[in-house]
Amino acid sequence: MTSSAVSVAGISKSYGSFKAVDNVSFDVQGGEIFALLGPNGAGKSTIIRMILDILKPDSGRIAVLDGTLDDARKSRIGYLPEERGLYRNVPVLEIMVYLASLKGMPAGDARKRGLELLEQLELGDVSKKKVSELSKGMQQKVQFAVTILHRPELVIIDEPFSGLDPINTLTIKELIIGLRNQGTAIMMSTHQMYQVEEMANRLFMINRGKPALYGPVQQVRQDYALPAVIVEGVGDWAALPAVERVEQISDGEGTMAQAGTLLYLRDGASSDDVLQQIVSQPGHQLRRFEQAIPSLNDIFIRVVEEGVVHE
Amino acid sequence: MSKIWRVASREYLSNLRRKSFIFTTFGIPILMIALILVITTLSIQAEAGDVNDQIGYVDHSGVLSRQIAIPDNYTMFDSEEAAEAALAADEIGAYFVVEPDYMATGSVTLYIASGGGDALIETFNQYLIANIDTGLNPEIAARVLDPVVMSLLTLNNGRQIEENSIGVIFMIPMIFVFVFFMAIQTTSGTLMSSVVEEKSSRVIEILVTSVTPFQLLAGKIIGLGALGITQISIWVGATLLVVLLSNAIPQLHGLSVPLDIIFVGITYFLLGYALTASFMAGIGAVAGSEQESRQIAGLAVFPLVIPFFFIYIFITDPNAPIAVFLTLFPLTAPVTAILRVGYSGIPTWQLVASILIMTITTLFAVWASARVFRWSILMYGKRPSLKRIIGAIFGRSEMQTTATGERAG
Repeated sequence: MTSSAVSVAGISKSYGSFKAVDNVSFDVQGGEIFALLGPNGAGKSTIIRMILDILKPDSGRIAVLDGTLDDARKSRIGYLPEERGLYRNVPVLEIMVYLASLKGMPAGDARKRGLELLEQLELGDVSKKKVSELSKGMQQKVQFAVTILHRPELVIIDEPFSGLDPINTLTIKELIIGLRNQGTAIMMSTHQMYQVEEMANRLFMINRGKPALYGPVQQVRQDYALPAVIVEGVGDWAALPAVERVEQISDGEGTMAQAGTLLYLRDGASSDDVLQQIVSQPGHQLRRFEQAIPSLNDIFIRVVEEGVVHE
Repeated sequence: MSKIWRVASREYLSNLRRKSFIFTTFGIPILMIALILVITTLSIQAEAGDVNDQIGYVDHSGVLSRQIAIPDNYTMFDSEEAAEAALAADEIGAYFVVEPDYMATGSVTLYIASGGGDALIETFNQYLIANIDTGLNPEIAARVLDPVVMSLLTLNNGRQIEENSIGVIFMIPMIFVFVFFMAIQTTSGTLMSSVVEEKSSRVIEILVTSVTPFQLLAGKIIGLGALGITQISIWVGATLLVVLLSNAIPQLHGLSVPLDIIFVGITYFLLGYALTASFMAGIGAVAGSEQESRQIAGLAVFPLVIPFFFIYIFITDPNAPIAVFLTLFPLTAPVTAILRVGYSGIPTWQLVASILIMTITTLFAVWASARVFRWSILMYGKRPSLKRIIGAIFGRSEMQTTATGERAG
C-alpha cells in the first residue's frame, strides 16, 4: 500500500473573480479515514474534483498515489460522488462489471468479486435486477459496491451515508472501516459529524475556500476544549475554590452536546484541582466528571459562525 | 485505446440487444420480404387461376389471311363451329369472329368462357392493325405498331436500364438513401440518448474518473458506428434477397444493386454518421433534458432531408448549380450524392471534392464536439448560451461543473 495516497500542496482555484479554493494543503495517508469537512459551498467538491483531475488547480501541486494522476493511477482510485446514479435499465451485475472493466479489472474477476460484494451487502438476489427495480437504499449500496469493486487503494467518498437507514448505514460503515484496516486510504466528505468522530482518524475543514482546521480528530477537539469540566451529581459546585462560575446545560444545548453542569475554571486552576476539591469536601456526590470537550458538531458550527480560517 | 474499446464494445453490445434496435433492424426487412412474397404468391396464384390463355379466331373478312405478327397463343379456325367446339373442349379460352364486312364496319365478335376481355381485345386490336393492308411491308408495319423499344443508357454513370425496368430506376437510389438515412438517424440518435442518459443519471460523474471525455466520446462513436454498419449490412442483405425474389415478379425485373451506389453509400454513411454523431454528442452534452436534446437534434438532422426536394433537378439537370452545391455542402452531401449517383451520376471531381470537404468538416466536428463534450458534460440544469459553447470550442475548454462560476461546494 502507498503511504501518501493524496498530497495537496498550496492549491488554489478561482471561477472568475470568485476564489473557490485558496491555498489549501493537506495529505491523506494509506490506512486512515480522512474527513474533508466544510459548509455547503466551502469548496469541498472543487477540491475533490481537482484531486480527480476533473478540474485543474490554478496553482499548487497535487500528487495522487505518489504521482500525477494518469490512467494507471485512475484505476487505483474508487470514487463515490455526491451527485450519483447508475444506468437505470441495465442489470446490476452488468453495470458493476462494465464500470470495473473501465478500471482495468478483467470481466471474470469483476463478476466474481461483484457477486461477493453484493452478498456482503445483503443484495445477493438483485444481481440480475435492473437498477430501476431497486429501492433507493439498495441503489446506494450498489453504488458503494461499484466504488470499491476493483479493490482501489484510494477511496474518495462524498456523503456515503445520505439516504441510508441506520442498518444500511452500519453496513457501509463497517465496510469502510474494514477497508481502512486493510490499508486503504479513505477520504470522506460528509456533514454527519458524529460519523467523523466515530470513524475518522484525521480531518481537514475548509471554510470560505480557506483552511480552517487540520489534524487528528481528537487533537482538533482537544484544541477546542473549554476551560471547564462537566459534572453530574449533588453538591455546591459554585463554592469550590477552583470554580469561577457554574452553568447548567441540557442535552444538545449551548456548545456542549451532553446534559450536565458546566464548571468554568478560574485562571490557573486545572480539572485535577476541581476533582480534588470535590473529593476532599464533604457533601458532594459525583456520578460524572469529564473535561468539557466540545463535539465536532459544535466545533463545526463555531468555525463557520465565527468565520475561522487560517491564512 | 483499451478503454475506448471497452466503451465501444459496451455501446455496441448493449444497443444490439435493445428491442427497438432489433425491431427496426429486422422488422423493416422482414416486412419488405413479406410484402414481396405476398405479391409473388398472389401473382403466381393469379397466373395459375387464369382461364385458358389460348385464343382462337375465325376470319370471315380475309383481313388476317397473311397472319402478320401472329401472337404465339393465337390459332385460326376455319369455322365458328370449330372454334365453338374448341372453346367447349377448353382447348381455347376465347375466340374472335371477324365479320365479313369488317373493313367497312370494323365488326368483330368475342366469345369468351369467363371473365372480362379487355386485355384480349387490346392484343387482338394490335394483331388486326398489323394485318390491315396499308401497302407497307411487314417490317415497316411492325415498326408502326411498336415504334420504340426503349433502352435507356445513362451516360454519366454508364448504367443501362431496359425498357421494362425503367420504373425501378427510381427505386434503388431511394431505397439506399432510406437505408443510410435511417441508419444515421438510428445510430446517432442512440448516441445522443446514451450521452443524455449518462448525464441525467449522473453515471457520468463516475465515468469521468475512469476514462477521459475523449475516450468516452470516441468509444461511443466507434461502437454505435459499428452498430450502424451492422444495421446497414442486414438491410443490404435483405435488399439482395429482395432482388433475388424479384425475378419472380415481372414488374420488378431489372432490379439490381449497383456496386457504385453501395460504395458511395458506405463512404457517405461513415462520414455522415461521424458528422451527425458529433453534433448529437455535443447536443446531448449541453442539453438540459432528453426532450430538449431531441428538439435541437431535429434541427441538426433537417439538412439531410433538403436534397429530397430537388430529386427532379438531379434527374433532369444533373449538373445544375443547386445539385453541385448540395453535393459539396457537407450537411446535404450524403443524401445528395447517393441520389445523384443513382439517378444520373456525379462527375468525378465533384465526388472527390465532396468527400474531401466532408472529411475535413467531419474531423473538425469530431474535434469541436470532443471539446464541447468535455467542457459541458458535468454541467447540469441551465443550457449554456451559444456564445459560451463557441467559446469552449475555440477557447480554454476545461471541464466545467454545475458549481463553476457560482459557488463551488
